[in-house]
Amino acid sequence: MTLEKTSSIKGNRWGFVSRNRVTFFLFLLVIILFLIGEIVSRGFLGYQHIGDILRAASFLGIVAIGQTLVLLTAGIDLSVGPLITMGNVFICMLLNGLDVNNFWAFAVLILLGLVFGALSGLGVAYLRISPLVMTLAVGSLVTGITLIYSKGAPNGFASPMLREIGVGYFLNSIPIIVVIWIVLSTVTIVLLNFSVYGRKLIHVGANANAANLSGINVRLVKTIAYAVSGATAVLAGVFMAGYTQTAFLGIGNQYIMWSITAVVIGGTSLMGGKGGYAGTIAGAIILILVGSILTLLHMPEAGRRIAEGLIILIMITIYFRKRGRN
Amino acid sequence: MTEKYKNLQLFLPVYIIFLLIYVVASFIEPTFFTWNNNVNLFTRITPLVLIGIAQTFVILTGGIDLSVGSVIGLANVIAVSLPFVGTPGNVILWFLVPTLIGLAVGLINGFIITRGGFPPLIVTLAMGVVWQGVSLFILSEPGGKVARGVSLYVTGKLFNFLPVPLLIIILAIVVFQLVLRRTAFGRSVYAIGGNETIASESGIPCNRTKIWVYGLSGFLAGLVGLYLSAWMSSGDPLIGDPYVLNSIAIAVIGGTSLAGGTGGVLGILGGAYIWQLLNNILNLMAVSMFYQYIAKGLIIIIALAATASAGGIRIGAIFRKFGIKGVK
Repeated sequence: MTLEKTSSIKGNRWGFVSRNRVTFFLFLLVIILFLIGEIVSRGFLGYQHIGDILRAASFLGIVAIGQTLVLLTAGIDLSVGPLITMGNVFICMLLNGLDVNNFWAFAVLILLGLVFGALSGLGVAYLRISPLVMTLAVGSLVTGITLIYSKGAPNGFASPMLREIGVGYFLNSIPIIVVIWIVLSTVTIVLLNFSVYGRKLIHVGANANAANLSGINVRLVKTIAYAVSGATAVLAGVFMAGYTQTAFLGIGNQYIMWSITAVVIGGTSLMGGKGGYAGTIAGAIILILVGSILTLLHMPEAGRRIAEGLIILIMITIYFRKRGRN
Repeated sequence: MTEKYKNLQLFLPVYIIFLLIYVVASFIEPTFFTWNNNVNLFTRITPLVLIGIAQTFVILTGGIDLSVGSVIGLANVIAVSLPFVGTPGNVILWFLVPTLIGLAVGLINGFIITRGGFPPLIVTLAMGVVWQGVSLFILSEPGGKVARGVSLYVTGKLFNFLPVPLLIIILAIVVFQLVLRRTAFGRSVYAIGGNETIASESGIPCNRTKIWVYGLSGFLAGLVGLYLSAWMSSGDPLIGDPYVLNSIAIAVIGGTSLAGGTGGVLGILGGAYIWQLLNNILNLMAVSMFYQYIAKGLIIIIALAATASAGGIRIGAIFRKFGIKGVK
């Protein structure tokens, strides 16, 4: 415990400063991108449009909560895509447009997310399977289950309450989903920085051996991170159903890459132990903004993909350079 | 333990499982054990073997290549977009351009990974998205065509007897087994995967070897894209997507450890067969496509649980992990 205490004090003094510098830079980039958007197309900075951008970013941001936790443990979660689809398809079929089913449908789906996330976590932590392949395999399982349950043709649609979450406004001013994202973000940031579990997670990612020797249950910490990732992915899929009203079998595919990109842009190291959720928030908004601007420039889907890939390469170059100098 | 015995221990279980599945399949479905069905299987397995070999080389060095799917797609759309008349010069061009572009893409991957010291996972993932974007620029939806002559030749039979895909499989496995075991390059691949620091200190050019390994992976992915274009007689920018998971699964089932340093290409044929036969059998048993996703997920998890600590499928390893002793 003394080991953890001293290192956390040291980590706070330097880590806090440098982490915030990166985050400030990223939010500055968000503002610059908004201004570029305004130059490209008048009305980009309109109240309505900013709300739309933030709404799109909030779906991604919620998926990226779990992805951030997993990347902090030096893992990776490729099952988020299938899990989003599962949440999206299942909620529509369970609700079938009725409000009465809201509570138990939500509960069942969050539980499913936790179970499949934990399954990945158990494979990674206890069987020592590479996270990449384990989550790919679990993703394959989840895809199969989604297809079997929906018979390949999902039906049903979102309930009025879910629809309100997806497209409604809080106090007629802020999209409800953005409010939910803000609440979840606050919880995540507080948990990561000030809770025992958050500190343990960072230590496990930084050096699993040292964490183990200092008495942290490394396997449990990792399993919880994957379970949370499963739950947030399903949750995002559920909220997306509120926005699109109906289910779509391919809705999650893009989010595997996007969630990883958002976290990497946000400055979380793929080697684990470095970073946090504040950067991921900026990362999610930046990704959505770039996509939006490219769409306004009439760039086809192909161009957007190239841009995404290049953004990742540029960001890892910047972050690795920085670490090399230190 | 001699190296030969180790190899046997590593690759024998794969082929025993393969034979079991094969025999069971022959009993379930009488048409399975016919020359025609087997020729059909060779055609289907060739791309799996080639891409499995590519991924095996990368995994042996302790890396991973997630861009293989996109490179297959890129080579595929380039192959069907080239102006093609059917003269010998054109055939050579049709062969060289996609494979050389694959090689170049792989070398770029390797260069970025070694120069920057970046994790291969994220570099190949990002480059994969970039190249997929490029393929979508070249051909935004499935289409294009290749000359009928080439298509018939690649998936046809030599002297009306020997299927060309079988020839490709045998040639690929023999050549790459020799490369791995009989050349300095092959020994370096194992040494780097075993312990890169020690390999570097004993004078092995680690970076150069790794760049060429990723180059080889890109080259083979280009070859697969070319093969698929001839087989399907058309192009599809997203045709390579399933091959990312397939290649990793086949390499792992074939006895290569994801930690690097142990394994080889001898198990690839068995791995590819097991992977493809499961599809075949499930189809023959009229099991819905949907259940195949579940079957594949479970197989990967089981194979990995058995091979996570050491290469090769060892059922006993699973039991040991749960604290059950005495199972070999």
